Amino acid sequence: MTNLDRRQFLTTSLIAGVAVITPDMALAGATPPGWALGVADVEADVPLEALKLVQGKVPAGLSTTLFRNGPAKFRRGDSAAGHWFDGDGLVRRWHVRDGKATLNARFVDTPKRRLETKLNAMVQPGFGTAQRPGSVVNGPDDTNAANTGVLVNGGQLYALWEGGSATMLDAETLSTQGPKTFRRDLKQMPFSAHPRVERDGTVWNFGGNGKSTFIWKLNADGSLAKAEMVALDRKSYFHDFTMTARHLIIVLQPWVQEEFKLPLSTGMSWKPEMGTQVLVIDKDDFTKRRVFELPAFSFFHLADGWEEKDGTIRFDGCLEANPTFGQTAASALLRGEHIKAPTPMLTQIVLYANGKAEMKATRTAAEFPSSDRRVAGQARRITTHVTGYRATPFPHAIARWDWGKGRDDKHDFGSHQLVEEFLFVASGAGESDGWLIGTTLNLKAQKTELHLLNAARLSDGPVATWQAGLALPLGFHGTVA
Amino acid sequence: MNTFKSIFTAIAMTGVTFSAAAIAQDDSANLALSFTGIEEQQGAVMGVLFDSEDAFNGKGAPTRMIMVTADKAEVATQFAGLKPGRYAIKTFHDIDGDGKMGTNPYGMPIEPFAFSNNAVGNMGPAKWADAAFEIKVGDNAHSIEIK
Repeated sequence: MTNLDRRQFLTTSLIAGVAVITPDMALAGATPPGWALGVADVEADVPLEALKLVQGKVPAGLSTTLFRNGPAKFRRGDSAAGHWFDGDGLVRRWHVRDGKATLNARFVDTPKRRLETKLNAMVQPGFGTAQRPGSVVNGPDDTNAANTGVLVNGGQLYALWEGGSATMLDAETLSTQGPKTFRRDLKQMPFSAHPRVERDGTVWNFGGNGKSTFIWKLNADGSLAKAEMVALDRKSYFHDFTMTARHLIIVLQPWVQEEFKLPLSTGMSWKPEMGTQVLVIDKDDFTKRRVFELPAFSFFHLADGWEEKDGTIRFDGCLEANPTFGQTAASALLRGEHIKAPTPMLTQIVLYANGKAEMKATRTAAEFPSSDRRVAGQARRITTHVTGYRATPFPHAIARWDWGKGRDDKHDFGSHQLVEEFLFVASGAGESDGWLIGTTLNLKAQKTELHLLNAARLSDGPVATWQAGLALPLGFHGTVA
Repeated sequence: MNTFKSIFTAIAMTGVTFSAAAIAQDDSANLALSFTGIEEQQGAVMGVLFDSEDAFNGKGAPTRMIMVTADKAEVATQFAGLKPGRYAIKTFHDIDGDGKMGTNPYGMPIEPFAFSNNAVGNMGPAKWADAAFEIKVGDNAHSIEIK
């Protein structure tokens, strides 16, 4: 390295250092209030409340329930969770019927929450939280935060996390009924927070990463159809998977577990030289598998995939240049710091029958992808996603990407609104015949809002907006039922 | 058949030896051991009694084996002729009666287990220091909650 190279390198590093770690106050300023409200603590369950309609008119005949999970308690005493993914799961139930909307929310009553409440300290290890004195871990469910997603299958509501059992909840009161054991010998087997559901209600899911993952298949009636271990070629971390009508698709990013350490994320290394592999497994015969090679990318979330007549497989995901968000930025959020991580970009991945694979970038920032569940496994046009990343670490807009037109239909809620996942509620036959339902955290009003948008015309803005009596921290994933 | 017979004899002999020791030595100890909190009343409570930290950590033989039918919420057994000293117990509820600690496909324990003093481990068995208890000359009682 010449002196000049060296100086340039040092300067670049210094600038990068200054640019990446910026305190909340400097970024958000006094108005609007700091985005840190998005990762604030909720101290108690939220009893059923009627929401105030603050704007618009509720479509006649609309009846739906949005269940959404997300971490909502990060700090106890002098201690705090070390990562956004490690707070206690608060399940929210947004119910719309007869033109009215209600909210109730309840923490999942986990062994972790019980122990930490008793100690008034965050002690259990997690994805990015260190184990502290007083911690008790005798099985995966002792660390289960039950904070990432929800599933309704066979009439049962579950709170999901990625490293332990699904937790059964009462679908009305949200009271915890306990961990689900699908079969005696499968007690405490991880059931990830990203199950995929076929059109007929069949659920597929995975559990655990490492040298193998466990594949679950549930029937629409809630019974267990299949449960098998599948060997993997690399110990890649993956938070989500996808599928077509015939295949399971596991994307093995080069963010790999090199050793078992707590917190889990500290044992993982980013090795871009390995590239990203896509493993395609036959749903009917797990020994039938193909591997596709792609350049290195990192990701958290994928959208449903489909297969064309000539065997071409297509799916999309929100791809990141590297896992900075999961490694450091999501931890920094809890300290009120904004570390600028690579923006997740909506990208279509194409796997050809001849073994070649390619990525089709959209130049659209996107996270929390979702689609019309009625076209699961079939070719579709639309991916709904959050977007509008700018001053804060969180998105400010909701959009629907049209793969046919190659553009977004978007509504920007403004810089004072932090936008959460939105889901599609059908009212007609097509992918645009219906509503998007979702929530935002209004930083100006310091309240969480429930919005309904016409899926065919997001740019018109919400058809109806209700306001809750309180601000809830940002949630992760939901389902409509 | 011969093998079976010799094992049987050995067990019987051992029993005799222990009984003789109990009667012969005034400084021996007895232990009444109970297990509580048994939720699924089937199978057996299996366990091992160790008389040293090394043995407890797998570097030595256990002092006694424990097997009690788990047909009630609380079951008990007793040992006679123990040498006074520090002991610790590892135990699990063999619900399915296969004689092994059941594990899920990732190797995580799925049958209830416990240690003396109701000591709890952290991602593994409890430590000797937490599980060890004193057995004195004469009668002793110890209770372990299975969960």
